[in-house]
Amino acid sequence: MKTHTIPMLAIATMLSMVSSAFAFGAAPAPPSNVVAVDAPDDAGEAIILSWALSPNDIFGTLESDTQATDPDLVVSVYYIERRTDSAAGNGSISEEDQGWQQISESAAGEVTTTDRKVQRGWSYSYRVCAVDIQKETSSWAATEEPVRPIMQPFNMSKAWLAIFMLMFGGLIAYFINVARSGKKLWVRPIAGLAAIDEAVGRATEMGRPVLFVTGIQDINEIQTLAGLTVLSRVAKTAAEYGAQIEVPTCRSLVMAAARETVESAYLAAGRPDSYQPDRIHYLTDEQFAFVAGVTGYMVREEPAACIYMGGFYAESLILAETGNHIGAIQVAGTAMPSQLPFFVAACDYTLIGEEFFAASAYLSDDPLQIGSLKGQDYGKFISVLILVIGICFATFASMSGSDENVWGASKNFIKDNMLGSAGLLPTGSGDTDIEGDDS
Amino acid sequence: MTIDLENINVILATDCGSTTTKAILIEKVDGTYRQTYRGEAPTTVEKPFANVTIGVTNSVTEVGELASRQLTNEDGTIKQPAKDGDGCDLYISTSSAGGGLQMMVAGVIAEMTAASAKRAALGAGAIVMDVISSNDKRRPHEQIQRIRELRPDMILISGGTDGGTTEKVVQLAELIAPAKPQPRFGSEYEMPIIYAGNKDASDEVQKSLEEDWIDLAVVENLRPKLEQENLGPARDKIHDVFLEHVMAHAPGYNMLMDWTDADIMPTPGAVGDILQTIAKKDGINVVGVDIGGATTDVFSVFDETFNRTVSANLGMSYSISNVCAEATMPNVLRWVHFDMDERQLRNRVKNKMIRPTTIPQSLESLIFEQAVAREALRLAYKQHKEFATTLKGVQQQRTVGDTFSQQSSGNTIVDNMKLNLLVASGGVLSHAPSMNQTAMMLVDAFEPEGCTNLAKDSIFMMPHLGVLSAVHPEAASQVFERDCLIYLGTCIAAKGAGRIGKPCFTWSLTGDVTASGTSNFGDLDLIAMGPEQTGTITCEPAKGFDLGAGNGKKVTHEVRGGTVGLIIDGRGRPLGLPTDRQECQQTISQWVENMKLYEEMEQAVCTA
Repeated sequence: MKTHTIPMLAIATMLSMVSSAFAFGAAPAPPSNVVAVDAPDDAGEAIILSWALSPNDIFGTLESDTQATDPDLVVSVYYIERRTDSAAGNGSISEEDQGWQQISESAAGEVTTTDRKVQRGWSYSYRVCAVDIQKETSSWAATEEPVRPIMQPFNMSKAWLAIFMLMFGGLIAYFINVARSGKKLWVRPIAGLAAIDEAVGRATEMGRPVLFVTGIQDINEIQTLAGLTVLSRVAKTAAEYGAQIEVPTCRSLVMAAARETVESAYLAAGRPDSYQPDRIHYLTDEQFAFVAGVTGYMVREEPAACIYMGGFYAESLILAETGNHIGAIQVAGTAMPSQLPFFVAACDYTLIGEEFFAASAYLSDDPLQIGSLKGQDYGKFISVLILVIGICFATFASMSGSDENVWGASKNFIKDNMLGSAGLLPTGSGDTDIEGDDS
Repeated sequence: MTIDLENINVILATDCGSTTTKAILIEKVDGTYRQTYRGEAPTTVEKPFANVTIGVTNSVTEVGELASRQLTNEDGTIKQPAKDGDGCDLYISTSSAGGGLQMMVAGVIAEMTAASAKRAALGAGAIVMDVISSNDKRRPHEQIQRIRELRPDMILISGGTDGGTTEKVVQLAELIAPAKPQPRFGSEYEMPIIYAGNKDASDEVQKSLEEDWIDLAVVENLRPKLEQENLGPARDKIHDVFLEHVMAHAPGYNMLMDWTDADIMPTPGAVGDILQTIAKKDGINVVGVDIGGATTDVFSVFDETFNRTVSANLGMSYSISNVCAEATMPNVLRWVHFDMDERQLRNRVKNKMIRPTTIPQSLESLIFEQAVAREALRLAYKQHKEFATTLKGVQQQRTVGDTFSQQSSGNTIVDNMKLNLLVASGGVLSHAPSMNQTAMMLVDAFEPEGCTNLAKDSIFMMPHLGVLSAVHPEAASQVFERDCLIYLGTCIAAKGAGRIGKPCFTWSLTGDVTASGTSNFGDLDLIAMGPEQTGTITCEPAKGFDLGAGNGKKVTHEVRGGTVGLIIDGRGRPLGLPTDRQECQQTISQWVENMKLYEEMEQAVCTA
């Protein structure tokens, strides 16, 4: 038994060595079914190439009947080459491009790539080969016919975006038209804005100034701009009533903009002589130095109305509490969620987020702005409605335990088509998102 | 003058209106004051008589003849005191002759001190001709022109809190001096100006108004703080000035003032006083309305806060066109339950306007007039609600819970659910052929909610009692309860909306009358309940309806009957009528039938 065992091992070792020596010179099997198509919904600037994986690609489908792939033949990468067959118009093809040129590589397991370096109207052929870990290349698998990228007039993957845009735009146009026709559009009363006249009136009766703070952010912030819109209205009312308005600012550019705003408002009210630019002044860029300056003014002068409109941080409660202490009517408006509770608790009226941004339309009574506001509100309502319906479908689908029913299909339709980019209607095929592959 | 109230047994009261002077006699019967006789005569303030006392003497003589009591002396004066079955112990009078008291008011901000000044003037019984303020969008020259055009009996200036603005108040005063408004009573008349503004500005205001044609009086600030309204001193001063200046220059009023034992009051001011007295005494909320030919006065007392508005263009004759224009014809027509096209309606309106003293001669005319009255009352009440508000410019106290429900100031204090008593007066209400019609006009126009007593002033006695309440509150109160008001009944109405025919509330009545039932939405039922009968009604509203205790919550009310009875109103609030004309006609017809509004009249027409 001993004498038989040793030769058996030696034979096996030798066979193995022979087998390895034979595999060293072998190449992996090529990929198959190479197809190139024009990328849909684009301007003729891309071609999508797809292929079936090489049998030596370990990411391919396992077939139990076939022999396991030789480890040395495992595909590590696919080489993709392109040849330009014809040009469009007066274009000419360079000599290099007339032959096969490697344009990219795809990792093992990849079955598609998008060539974005093509020219509209030109025709191209592609070929793909598999490369194993030994850098041995398979034979080439080429496309059967050249493909020509062309421009599609509509990007159907964005069809729902277009529908929503038309719908919202139509709503806005409709409401602007309605407002212009003289019909009074109802806008939810915002107590804070309605109270501005009251606050300025109080200041007038008490013979004290109106304090307006535009926040501590710079002029490039949207909240500061919204605050300046409200300032325009406050200044106009103050001019009409003959009240004094005081505007300390935290940024020099805001001071310049505030001065322009207040001057225009006084002019519009027919009281340009009452405009006092010195009352709109810059204090400091430093947050708490600014707050100290403003609160000091509040305690000394006791303004009858304090209006805070803009972006505020930790200073919100310091300002509002000081204003409350001196007995002023206070109106605040900010889109800073963390500061809203402080303003609500300490001020008489507070504009919350969207209300603050809608203020300009609300205050101007301009049909264009009111119609636009109304249209946007309907747009938001429709968006929220779609989200709520989607949540319901998702919940029902989850409860049913499968996406293969009407709830799941509806949920996917909303998610992929309406809110995603899967086109107008469900296609029934898998993922068609070409954005994810930028090879 | 001191009056011994214990020894007053006979009271004579007159009200000098623009066209008629009305006199009533109040006597102590079995220890209780009762109104016993009433007489009237044309007012004689205009030429050729130009002496108001002639009309007074005539009306008093009529009362004396009816009472078999000589109330006047041979020279026409009132015979006092009561002795041997003649004369009276107390004589009092009100006056609205010659257009009443006409005022112009001014304040710094229209919604703040100017609004308070207007409230003070209206509460004192004046007609406010215009309100001048810093923010009324008029240029100073336009304001001066306006003041010049007006011919007020007096001017009330307010503005600024104490320690507040001086500049703005002085600016207001400076508008008046150059305007030099001409008074109604000739060039000899010194224009009374009452200043009730910032006390720190009074010296400068006095300096600005140092003119020989101005008689300036300074009283306490009516808004010493924006959170506080102090109308009393200004109202009292208006009353004094009314007597000293306006009455003194009106023909015959000097003599009349000598006759009376208490100051003559403007008629609406007196009505306001009696309503306040009753509201305070019984702890109730009251609304009173007086609808006339040219104007409609609405008075309200809610939580002891009195408000009065005069809707100058809402009336049943001179202003009827304006009512139809403001309410629109379809709104008037919706109360008419038979076919009447707009053209027919317009003809009736114009006829009434050019013949203002005519009264309806046919059932159609009556129904049409009552339809207009409903709209006039509705509009006047709407204006009243907008005026009777909480103070503006007041600091609010908030919590984080107010984030999404920030109520603004200046909300109306008129709450129909809290309303206890609704009093009607004025021709179309007082002289309606049937009390049911009066009650329905009130319910349709005012839309009372919960449990509300309905009453009407039998002979427009409230002005007399208003003056009397200042002199002899006990007598005024007794006469008001026993003789002034005719109780029509009680209205039980649910607030909310539902579907026609669905349950609105179930009710159960116990006491002198026992009944129960379910009121479906849209139903209107009448339960017979006499003037002396009382009871307790327990109502259980359906979900979405409120009868005073909250949405769907059971509630119990004490109710009293009246000449009409108990009205179970399941029509919901706010009251909505079908927009389709045919459907609307059917609905109104059903309500008319249920309330027996024109039953007797239709029978009379058929018999004729």
